[in-house]
Amino acid sequence: MSSFLFEQIVNGIITGSVYALVAAGMTMIFGVLRAINFAHGEYYMLGTFAAWWVMSKLAADYSLAIVGGVAIVSVIAVLIGRSVMQRLIGQPFQAGVLATLGLSLILQNVVILAFGGGYKVFSGGWLEPIELGDFGMSQQRVILVVITIAVFAGLEWMVRSTRLGRSIRAVSQNIECCQVNGIDVEQVVRRTFLIGVAIAALSGILTGPINVSIYGGMGEAITLKTFAVIVMGGMGNVRGTLIAGCLLGVVESLVAGFIGLQYRDSVGFIVLLFMLMFRPHGLFSSKARF
Amino acid sequence: MSYPTNSRLRGAALVAIAAIAGFCALAPASAQTDTFKIGVIAPMSGPNARYGAFANKGAALAAKEINAAGGVLGKQIELVSGDSQCVPAEGVAATQRMISLEKTPVIIGDVCSSVTLAMQPLAEESKVLLVNAASSNPDITYKAGVGGFKWTFRNYPTDEVRAATVLEYASKTKGFKKFAVLSVDSDYGRGAIKFTKRYLPKYEGAEILSEDYYKDSETDFRSVLSKIRRSGAQAIILYGQADTTPIIARQMLELGLAGKVALVGNGEFNTKETIAAAPKVMNGAVEAAAWLPEVPAPRSLKFVEDYKKANGGEMPNNHAYTHYDTLNLVMAAIRSANSLKAEDIRNAMAKIKYDSPMGVVTFDDHNQAVMPMVLLEITDGKPAIKGMIATKVDYAGGAK
Repeated sequence: MSSFLFEQIVNGIITGSVYALVAAGMTMIFGVLRAINFAHGEYYMLGTFAAWWVMSKLAADYSLAIVGGVAIVSVIAVLIGRSVMQRLIGQPFQAGVLATLGLSLILQNVVILAFGGGYKVFSGGWLEPIELGDFGMSQQRVILVVITIAVFAGLEWMVRSTRLGRSIRAVSQNIECCQVNGIDVEQVVRRTFLIGVAIAALSGILTGPINVSIYGGMGEAITLKTFAVIVMGGMGNVRGTLIAGCLLGVVESLVAGFIGLQYRDSVGFIVLLFMLMFRPHGLFSSKARF
Repeated sequence: MSYPTNSRLRGAALVAIAAIAGFCALAPASAQTDTFKIGVIAPMSGPNARYGAFANKGAALAAKEINAAGGVLGKQIELVSGDSQCVPAEGVAATQRMISLEKTPVIIGDVCSSVTLAMQPLAEESKVLLVNAASSNPDITYKAGVGGFKWTFRNYPTDEVRAATVLEYASKTKGFKKFAVLSVDSDYGRGAIKFTKRYLPKYEGAEILSEDYYKDSETDFRSVLSKIRRSGAQAIILYGQADTTPIIARQMLELGLAGKVALVGNGEFNTKETIAAAPKVMNGAVEAAAWLPEVPAPRSLKFVEDYKKANGGEMPNNHAYTHYDTLNLVMAAIRSANSLKAEDIRNAMAKIKYDSPMGVVTFDDHNQAVMPMVLLEITDGKPAIKGMIATKVDYAGGAK
C-alpha cells in the first residue's frame, strides 16, 4: 500500500512540474501586467504544434524540434507582445481579460484552419521506460522534471542578478515609479511576455511525446488548471507556483488513484474555490501584493 | 494611454457598422430553389473534431456521387454543416440555427451520444427528421419510435449489442475474468458500461475490479493505470475516443502493462496510427466496430478507394462510412416516398428495405436500424475480423 502511495506521489510530482512550468509564465505576466493571460494555454498548444510541424514538414529530429518550436513561438510572442500586450499597461483588468480571451479564440481557430480539426500524432521524444523500483516511467518524464527545476533555478537567478530581473520586480510593484526612474516599462513587459510564453511553449513541446494526440483546442484545459495553480501559489509569486503546481499534481494523483479518475479535474477547482474564499492572495504570499 | 475621445469612438462605431453591413451584403442570397438542403451536425472543433471532419468528408463524397448521377427528384443536394463541439448545449444551438435559418427538413447528426440525446426533443418539436449515423448510446432509440420520439432514426449499431458482443468474446474466447473499467465520461462511455454490467453476471467468475471515467481532454492516465496494474486486472474495458486511445496505449507501455493487460471495447483501436502508437499494447486488443476499411464487402471496398482518391490518400474511419451510407439511405427513402417533405421521408424510412454495402438494412419499431457489427482482434499489428454480429435489441429485457 505504501509503495502505491509513493508511486502516486511520484506521478503527482511529474504532473505537477508541467503545471508549475506553465504557471510560472502566466504568473510572471500577471506580475508585470496585472492581466491574467487567458491565452496562455494556447501558447502551450502552439509550442507543441510548432515542434510537430518542424518534425514532420522539415523532417528534423526531436532535439532540433525543441529549439525550433520555441523559436517559432518566440517570434509569435514578439508580434503579439508588440501589438496587444504592451497596450494593456495601466489598463483596467477588463481590457486584459477581453484581449487575451480574444487572442485565445483567434489562435485556436487559426491552428484549426491551418492544420484541420483532427488530432495529430506527436511522434518523437525519448520514450524508453526507466524502471524505478516496481514502476516504470519514460525518460521523457524524468527530463521534464529536470528541466522544470532548471528553468525555475534560471528564473530565480534572473530575478535576483540581472537588470531585467530587477526591472521586472520593480514594474510589478509600481509602474509610475518605474517610469520616473527611467525603466522602459513597455520593453520590460514585452520581454517578460516573451519569457513567459517561451516557457509555456517549452512545456508543451516536452509533454508532446507523452500526450501523443495534439489538436487545436488542447490549450483550453491547460489555461483553466494553470489559473488555479497561480491563485494557489500567489499571483505574481514565481517560487510559489513551483510548490503549488507540485502540490496540485500530487493531490490530483491521490484522488485519481484512490477515489476515481473522474474526480481529478474537480480537485483544482475546489482548491480554487477555497483559495478565493479564504486566502485570495495565495498560500505563500504573506500579505496581499495588490 | 488616455481614454479615447468622443470623436474617435464615433469613428470606430461607424467603421464597425459599415463592416457588419458589408458582411451582411456579401452573405449569399438564400432561397436557392433548385437545391435540397440537408444538415450535417458533427463536432468540428474541440477534442472530437476528428470525428466531425471524417463525417463531413464521408457525407460530401456521397453528395458528390448523388449529384453527379442527377441529384434526387430533379434537385441537387446541398450539405449544410453545423458544429456541435461535442457539447450538448452547442449541439442544440447548432440544430436550432439549422432549423430556423437553413430550414433543412432532414438533419444528420450528431456523432456524440450526449449531443444526440439533447437534439432529439428539438427535432421532435420542430418536426424535422433527425437521422443519426454515429451515436451508440442505447437510450437514443429506447426513446424513439414507439418509445416516444417519432422523428428520430438511427442508422448505427447500439452499445447494447456492442457491450454484449465484446464481453462474450472477452470472457468466452479470450478467457478474461478480471476486468478494470476505464471509459470516457459521457453518455457513450457510461452507457456502454451500464450495459456491460447488466450482462456480466452471465459469465461465471467475471468481475469488475475498478471503475474510472475520464474527461475527453484528459492526458494523464498514470495514476489510474498504476491502480489497475496493482489490482491484477487482465483486461481494461475501454469505451473511449479515438484521440485518447493512443495516449492510454503509450502510458500502458510506460508502466509495463504491454502484453499483460489487454484492451477490450471500442475506441478506434483498429486504425494504423493508434496501433503504431504502441504496437505491443494494441496486439490482442478486442473491438466491436460499426465498420472498418478492411471489411471484405465489394461496395465497401469501393467506398474506401473512392474516399482515398477524393481525400489525398487518407483512409476513411467508420464515421466517414456511416455518414456516406446514411446520406444514401435518406436518398433511398426520398425516392421511395417520391417527395421532399420531411413527413413523407420519415414514413418511407420506417418501412424501407435499404440495400447498403454491408447488407440489407431495415428499421425496427424503435426506429433503430437492424444492421451488423464487426468484431475484430488486433493480431500482428493488423485488425483481424473475427465475426459479424447482427442482433435485434430486446427492448423488454433491456428496459432501464
